[in-house]
Amino acid sequence: MRIPLRRLGVYLAAFLFAIVVNFTLPRLMPGSPVDSMIAQLGPRATPAAIEAIKARFGAVEQPIWLQFLDYLKGLATFDLGVSVKYYPQTVTEVLARSAGWTAFLVVTAVIFSLCVGVSLGAVAAWRRGGRFDAFVSPFSVVLIAVPPVIIALATLFTFGVTLRWFPVGYAYDPSLDPGINFTFFGSVFWHAIMPVLTLSPYMIGEFQTTMRSSMISVLGEDYVTMGRAKGLSNTAVMFSYAARNAMLPVMTNLALMLGAVFGGSIVTEIVFNYPGLGLTLFTASVARDYPVIQGQLLLMTMATLGANLLVDILYGVVDPRVQEGRT
Amino acid sequence: MSSGLKLFLRQKKAVAGFIIIVALCLMALLAPVLAPGDPAQRVGRSHQPPTAEHVFGTTKMGRDVYAQFVWGARPSLAVGFATGLAITAIGTAIGLIAGYFGGRTDAVLDLTTNAVLVIPNIPLLILLASFAGTVGPMAIMAIIALTSWPWGARMTRAQTLSLKNREFIVAARMVGEPWWRIIFVEILPNLVPLIGINLVGSIIYAIVAQTTLEYLGFGDPLNVTWGTMLYNAQNSSAIIVGAWWDIGAPALGIAIVGLGLALLNFTFDEIANPQLRSGPALSRWLRLNRLRARELRAVR
Amino acid sequence: MNAPLLRIQNLDVDYLTDGGAFRAVKNVSFDIGRGELFGLAGESGCGKSTIAYAITRLSKPPAWVAGGQVLLDDQDLLKLSETALQKVRWRRIGMVFQSAMNSLNPLMRVAAQFHDVLARHTGATRAQSRARAEEMFKLVGISPTRLDDYPYQFSGGMRQRIVIAICLALQPELIIMDEPTTALDVVVQREILEQVIDLQRSHGFSVLFITHDLHLMAQLCHRVGVMLKGELVEVGDVRQVSRAPAHEYTRKLWGSIPQLPGHGAAA
Repeated sequence: MRIPLRRLGVYLAAFLFAIVVNFTLPRLMPGSPVDSMIAQLGPRATPAAIEAIKARFGAVEQPIWLQFLDYLKGLATFDLGVSVKYYPQTVTEVLARSAGWTAFLVVTAVIFSLCVGVSLGAVAAWRRGGRFDAFVSPFSVVLIAVPPVIIALATLFTFGVTLRWFPVGYAYDPSLDPGINFTFFGSVFWHAIMPVLTLSPYMIGEFQTTMRSSMISVLGEDYVTMGRAKGLSNTAVMFSYAARNAMLPVMTNLALMLGAVFGGSIVTEIVFNYPGLGLTLFTASVARDYPVIQGQLLLMTMATLGANLLVDILYGVVDPRVQEGRT
Repeated sequence: MSSGLKLFLRQKKAVAGFIIIVALCLMALLAPVLAPGDPAQRVGRSHQPPTAEHVFGTTKMGRDVYAQFVWGARPSLAVGFATGLAITAIGTAIGLIAGYFGGRTDAVLDLTTNAVLVIPNIPLLILLASFAGTVGPMAIMAIIALTSWPWGARMTRAQTLSLKNREFIVAARMVGEPWWRIIFVEILPNLVPLIGINLVGSIIYAIVAQTTLEYLGFGDPLNVTWGTMLYNAQNSSAIIVGAWWDIGAPALGIAIVGLGLALLNFTFDEIANPQLRSGPALSRWLRLNRLRARELRAVR
Repeated sequence: MNAPLLRIQNLDVDYLTDGGAFRAVKNVSFDIGRGELFGLAGESGCGKSTIAYAITRLSKPPAWVAGGQVLLDDQDLLKLSETALQKVRWRRIGMVFQSAMNSLNPLMRVAAQFHDVLARHTGATRAQSRARAEEMFKLVGISPTRLDDYPYQFSGGMRQRIVIAICLALQPELIIMDEPTTALDVVVQREILEQVIDLQRSHGFSVLFITHDLHLMAQLCHRVGVMLKGELVEVGDVRQVSRAPAHEYTRKLWGSIPQLPGHGAAA
């Protein structure tokens, strides 16, 4: 599976960009982040801790490039620093706890939205101009325009508070102990419904729109006409000939959307008090816990890059033309 | 150009979207008339539901939600539109330059575009905003604009590349037209539908990003915007106590703006992509086809 | 060769445009006999391709069949339900499109593109489809080892041959060829057409050959029809139409073929 060198170059550049931003930002505002963090530590501010903070954020008399090297060295050993709010836990520890929940939420939402959105788009294009298309397609465009924050609040209010159908916070019932049992999984599932339903509309709208456009294009191609000329059933033509080819731009779109999905997940977690990376980021930013905020950016960037890479690989699997280096 | 306008007006969705946006802008402009006085003034008891006197109810601090809604529209819309414009301008410029000049310029710009594109926006925004402290609309605008231009740049670059190889451009270059003339007179007019999509999409994004940042508390809480209204409502536990109007008004405002812009975008999309256009002839063909298929099935 | 295989009667096809309906095919009638090579000629835009697509109801917008009958053994194809028509397509009437570059599904291996149509019409298993596909490949001159390749791995000429191979797999009674070689270079054109003629002679299917190349048509076909602006202006035996054309336009068509010095009349 040959991923073009170009793509890898882009990912490397993005990663470097995030690292550089993380490195330079606190140094551009000398004093105040460091001071505020030291103040935050309060009585726990041992001289060692203060030194560590100063070193990490540049309030030292070391040449910049040496500081950068130290920083890179730290990254290589997964040393993202120590949290200020949850001192003495390291940033890695703080993030590791929440990363799992966010991953669960995002993966579930993406898979759900992909299935629903793509199906709706394919049917809308196949029955173009019909009642289904006339209703679903403009609705999808609207879904894209309404921000996740609004949907989250509306969902929380309607289904959580007013109708009381779903629990209004947390990843699972706090009275339960996590374990491999049905009750626990059931609770997790139940608590995940509203957050997933909040993340999904935007993605469903995007997938539906992209799939419909792509499918309309594909339906005009000669190989689809040949599929019909072969006397194949409508289902066979729609799936194997049309939808399969139409999926390719959708996959590219998926890769582009991943950054936005993480953004949406942050807001969703905050509204639903879901213990993922978003909530951690929020509490960290309120507490000015800069090490955690920075670590978060790096982690999310890496996650997005990783997901992009995954989509690139999948695309190569689906479209044989790419493997040879041509598209 | 006039055929484009005619096409635009024939699309009911576009007209509807346009009316919505214009109505909201008018409301914002006429704020002093529609809700005279200072929206931050305390006018009633805390968290009162909508009544005849206070159409949208009151906030926890006893402020009139309706007044805040009308006045809050100003910065929300203004910053949203301005930021959207900035994003589009930056993205179009970069995409054009990369696409037209090619070579090393293109390689560098393309790499930068894709790299910034991959980085998740909201965490980056939160990072920048938390280092910057509570910031006014200008800073928010700058932060958002500097991180969201890549999407438009990519589209513009792709389109420029395909235009560059079209015969009329090749002819213009052979005749010796200067590059700035080619770009502004030959290429740019062909990019207008794309720029339209870009602009509307960027405005939508800008409003969402701005609202999100303000909701998270990075805006200036003393400034009355729809985002800060959400922030204040959240902090006063409006949802939990059931004060739906407190959250509902700004949420509705944002949803309506989104709706209007989305309707506009749908049409721009069809203008730019003629295949998607369902002109009256195509609609008629599709309808006749459906009817015939139904007839033939029945004859069986 | 008694009753004709295909009878097209009073076929009307409209183009639905925003400015109104434009009749692209006007009251066209002709027959194609069994085992006969029928050529349909005319300049671009005269409606010949439109007819080709209309026969098996594959017309794409804006083309709309407004009237007439297409009788395959006395069964009007225009009145069949979609499901019934699907049984006729490929099994009895096959089609070779103009740009075979794009006629094959880019994401399916060639063997799979044989299998889906064979399974659909004859319920063949994968092994059976593969055996048949190998046979067909040998027939058109492609190595059967390439059955697992994807379409992009073949050249334009080979892709056209693959389409012809898939076409013949079910041994249809009629094959419609819409300018099958226009997009290819002359040498490949020649090879493919010779192969088609051989296959036609050995298997005995009819061919509706649509082209704007008169010379080709005169060499290959038994009967020809000439179209002008949607109307069929002349139809008959190829020798008669070429040597003694009845219509003014036909005469002009033949007359427009540049002559090499020292050669006699065309064909």
